Amino acid sequence: MVASELGQYVATGLLVGGVYALMSIGLALIFGIMRVVNFAQGDFMMLGMYLTFYYAVALGIDPLLGALLSIPPFFVLGLLVHRAFLTRVTGGGDPNREMDAQLILTLGLSLVITNATTMILSPMPRAINAPYATRAFEVGPLLLNQARSYSFAIALLLAGAVYVFLTRTDLGKALRAAADDPEAAGYQGIDVRRMHGVAFGIGIALVAAAGGLLATYHPIEPNVAVNFIVLMFVAVVLGGLGSIPGAFVGGIVIGLVQSLTLLLLPLQLQNVGVFVAFLIVLYVRPQGLFGRRARSV
Amino acid sequence: MPRDRGWLGIAAVVAVGLVLSLALTERYHHRILTLVLLWATMGLAWNVISGYAGQISFGHQAFFGIGAYVTVLLAAKLHLTPWLGMLGGAGVAVLAAVLIGAPTFRLAGIYFGLATLAYPLIFRILMDFLGYQEVAIPMVRDHPVLFMQFEEPRTFDLLALALLAATLVLSRLIETSRLGYSLRAIKENEQAAEAMGVDAFRCKMAAYVLSAAPAALAGAIYAHAILFVVTPDGVFGVIAIVQTLTVCLVGGVGTLWGPVIGAAIMIPISEILDTTAGDRFPGIQGVVYGATLMAIMMWAPEGLFWRLRRRPASIARATPVATAPGTAEAPVTAPAAPGPVLLEVRGISKAFIGLQALSEVSFDVREGEILGIIGPNGAGKTTLFNVLNGFLLPDRGEVRWGGAPITGLQPHVVCRRGIGRTFQVVRFFPHLTVLENVLVGAFAHGAAPAAARERARASLGQVGLAGQADTLPAGLTTLELRLMELARGLATSPRLVLLDEPLAGLSADGVELMAVMIRRTRAAGVTVVIIEHTIQALVKLADRLVVLDHGRRLAEGAPGEVTRNPAVIEAYLGKRWLARHAPNHAATLQP
Amino acid sequence: MSRRPRSLALTLVLSLLAPMVAVPIAMAADDVKIALVAPLSGRWARQGQLKKMGAEMAIEEINSQGGIKALGGAKIVLREADAGDSVEKAVSAAQRVLTREKISAGIGSWLSSFTLGVTEVAERLQVPWLTLSYADNITERGFKYTFQSSPVSSLQAEQALALVVDIAKKNNRPLKKAALVGDNTAATVFFFKPLREKLLAAKGIELVADEVWTPPLADATSIVQKLRATQPDIVFYGATNFPDSIQVLQKVKEFNLKTTIQGVGAWLVTPEYVKAVGKENLEGIQTVVAAHPLKGQEALVKKFVQRTGEPFMTQDPLCTYAHVWLIKEAAEQAKSADPKAIRDALAKIDLTAGPAATTLHPGRIRFDDRGRRVGAIPIIVQWQNGEPHTVVPTAVATRPLATAK
Repeated sequence: MVASELGQYVATGLLVGGVYALMSIGLALIFGIMRVVNFAQGDFMMLGMYLTFYYAVALGIDPLLGALLSIPPFFVLGLLVHRAFLTRVTGGGDPNREMDAQLILTLGLSLVITNATTMILSPMPRAINAPYATRAFEVGPLLLNQARSYSFAIALLLAGAVYVFLTRTDLGKALRAAADDPEAAGYQGIDVRRMHGVAFGIGIALVAAAGGLLATYHPIEPNVAVNFIVLMFVAVVLGGLGSIPGAFVGGIVIGLVQSLTLLLLPLQLQNVGVFVAFLIVLYVRPQGLFGRRARSV
Repeated sequence: MPRDRGWLGIAAVVAVGLVLSLALTERYHHRILTLVLLWATMGLAWNVISGYAGQISFGHQAFFGIGAYVTVLLAAKLHLTPWLGMLGGAGVAVLAAVLIGAPTFRLAGIYFGLATLAYPLIFRILMDFLGYQEVAIPMVRDHPVLFMQFEEPRTFDLLALALLAATLVLSRLIETSRLGYSLRAIKENEQAAEAMGVDAFRCKMAAYVLSAAPAALAGAIYAHAILFVVTPDGVFGVIAIVQTLTVCLVGGVGTLWGPVIGAAIMIPISEILDTTAGDRFPGIQGVVYGATLMAIMMWAPEGLFWRLRRRPASIARATPVATAPGTAEAPVTAPAAPGPVLLEVRGISKAFIGLQALSEVSFDVREGEILGIIGPNGAGKTTLFNVLNGFLLPDRGEVRWGGAPITGLQPHVVCRRGIGRTFQVVRFFPHLTVLENVLVGAFAHGAAPAAARERARASLGQVGLAGQADTLPAGLTTLELRLMELARGLATSPRLVLLDEPLAGLSADGVELMAVMIRRTRAAGVTVVIIEHTIQALVKLADRLVVLDHGRRLAEGAPGEVTRNPAVIEAYLGKRWLARHAPNHAATLQP
Repeated sequence: MSRRPRSLALTLVLSLLAPMVAVPIAMAADDVKIALVAPLSGRWARQGQLKKMGAEMAIEEINSQGGIKALGGAKIVLREADAGDSVEKAVSAAQRVLTREKISAGIGSWLSSFTLGVTEVAERLQVPWLTLSYADNITERGFKYTFQSSPVSSLQAEQALALVVDIAKKNNRPLKKAALVGDNTAATVFFFKPLREKLLAAKGIELVADEVWTPPLADATSIVQKLRATQPDIVFYGATNFPDSIQVLQKVKEFNLKTTIQGVGAWLVTPEYVKAVGKENLEGIQTVVAAHPLKGQEALVKKFVQRTGEPFMTQDPLCTYAHVWLIKEAAEQAKSADPKAIRDALAKIDLTAGPAATTLHPGRIRFDDRGRRVGAIPIIVQWQNGEPHTVVPTAVATRPLATAK
């Protein structure tokens, strides 16, 4: 195994990990602020891919820009979904039952989204075919796919923006307050339910943007979520459920694990590495790398 | 009595299944019937671990798939008849349940569910990798019956019906046994269950293992009746768990009938939709399942069975508790001289991050006494109980029970050794009668349901709730709930019982009555240790008091002494109050 | 408490009624129904769609020429069912279409994996089934109702290898390293197996990369990374559908990988490739198939192209066209639309004339007792100037094999 070959695997893993990181941040935000495990996260990503595809094919907008343009409509969609469905589910007061109930609700939502999309848009896979999707930057012996490189950069920018938002802005701080202590936040005049809606909206918007970035180099089809939802979960758990920086690191790590697994295992077993890592984290250190203390940020 | 109704109900379901199987003529209808029966079975299996025990598993299709694969592979590679192969499949599934359960049950809440997700995904990948991405059931022409290959689709119905019947019987047996009550207790409140003598880990494992076998058998039949070619996605895929979940959630979780009702409704709907609209609208099934799951979670999370079942007229009315204080009962005698030391607490210290909860706490509890542990909020009283009970391991110190050390023993072991416990917040089982609520504790010393029922009844009688035994607890008053909680603790036949704030929130009359019950408990030979944070109530009740403040033992002695102790007064009311109201005493205090 | 058995009984009675609502389909008693179970949605939909086109063309021809004479001019009617994108869906579709009404014979399901499942159903329901799928095990199960008209994968592997070795020798660049890249569906499995186990070694070729995936292919990067690292002289390629395949080919282009690609299957010769990879990058790529328009079939191709608007005709519509005609012949010989009778006729059939026989090389249709067509020979097709042409066997080639590279 030549160093350059190893380097290629690492580079591939990092690039794809960046986009996983962005997807996972959305999931972590939703869990961190509202304690909801959103099973439909991957399906919102899929919808984001389709919207970006539409932007590219019908309106001629470059998909990298299209990904960013997906953010506002999906934020609104998130608010609506939260209001319409999530607020109606409680577990009868028991937080554990509530989490299970939310998980099942979002599982149902995931099924509806995937299958409705299959019915309406047909399951034939589509691709955007941006010119930079099939070209690579040559960095020494390494080949870095251009679309993935751009996506990686934008993913990092968006992640940074989220961080700044949560730590520097009033709304961000209100979100964190609602997460840390809903009761106290309520006393301070923070509408906790609204904060939850905002968190959900942002979480969905982020994953839709990630989908748009993914669409620059990945085929688009209704079932695409299934490949990524488990990766997202693993990344989030690895980082620590509810920790945003944790989810970011988790995403990068999972990208690397996925790529480097191929040094040891054949292609068909690629995701076994990821799932085994998942189980190891759950069994050995369920609170993940960043623990529960760094909950929101 | 509900018990007989249960067996009658099972017989009714089997009868209806038989009639349908014989009456239907179209192949297509038989297919639907077979599917209904198989998914009802799968739902029942899932129900054992996720309905009764409350451990929501998102990976039960792992066992379904194992059953299918093992059976078909044994037939394809070793020419082994699936009638035996099925048993092999069930065996492997049981083994898998043990291996998966052992590490996974240590995870709480959502982590358990997430971990169970991983296994079917891994199996899927493995089967693909091993080259078993499509294992066709080999057609055997000379002995088709020996290889579960029936021309007549009716036969598959009957096979599935037999499996459903067996699983219904299994579920019913679990429901009425010690395991079933233990599981439901675990679901409600695992800690309280442990305190009542339930070995939660073993019970969960037992439930998991029992739920794996029917799932595997269902998978084997499914492969032969429906699939013909076993693929990883077909048996380990998402649709299997979605159908299982839907069937249970729609029908009702935690009951025999739920999965049957759910399957009878959902499966025909989705199959018909698929047949009529599936070609034009591929995915219609998924939309229906998804929308159903969402609707159920939003509007009827317990499922149709519980929704539809009208509350029987015999819900608990607010009757005055059967024995008012002072009625024809032997007057409660003053305690005899306290007996030998039962419980020794020596130098218990426990620190949490940033907080020293307990600091060198020591005291004795003598047989036959009522000992009160008091102290302001945050003094460490409940932490102390948690240490005594086995929920927490102290950093230093020792607890001895009847001379033998019990520090660090698991709560259910402590319970079985004779220390009972009640909890401040009463988490009752809403769908079980008052008697059944108490029953869990009664199983602590023996598994026979009849004897346990007797003990439970006796317990209820002791606290004056005998009349409410067969009602649902939803209508009980706070006082009655407390009494039921007391009865639960007593049902474990303890020698000593730890009562955690039994008087909180009661009216004066209620406090009076509770006090009577507590004295009666002691008269019956059970030593009592009570936590309260208001002194007033305990002063009349307790023989001795131990005062805790900030984790330290502040004072110990007869109630009269303790309440005049200036340090105690200061702890409750503060230096200033003391200085203002009892300046002489204040002077005697150290600065 | 007595509500429980009651509401239970009620719901069970409702479920009894529910299946009765299943819609019965009006049938014209004289029609002969042929089922077509093929992927009509999902990643293999293109192939299913092409099959359907071929079937429809044959049906229209037959019906306009007077239908099935032995049955009084009975017309043929097509009953299609979507095999979707999974074996379960294919099996379920077959169950549906074969139990809903009386089907005389069936065709499908393109992907060997789907065909395996579908024929399990057809065998149990005793309906004769014609398939163009390649996997060996389709006709190794002792089935009586399955008829495979294509040369099997293992035979294709032998012939393809022989050809590429030959070409390499002629170019004075003998093959030293080979790669296997494909999915794990049955046809590809049975193609790769003999190569992996003995054929390559027998020719002294080292297997340097063995990249198999479970469809859908998520990311082709690692595959092409491996190829780049190992530099094989030839890549045997079995992707089976366009969306998976195009990812690999585009990555090959991106990584500027220079190698020879030998495909297996007709999925590699659909028009979409031209736009997606570019004519120049397709030039010279070969694939082994079961059928392709041969010298002398220009009229048939022209008719198809005019009828459907497709730029050219390939294996899928061709085979299905032949299958429908074959069923027609069987019905004529059996003088019956009964599936069992048609099956018996197919088992004995020996055609040397007529559209079915002339479409499938070498022009005679006979099935052995396993259900395999006797004498079926693989056809090698090569992309030349943006169109696929038959190049081997040379006797029926429409263009000569281009070997320069």
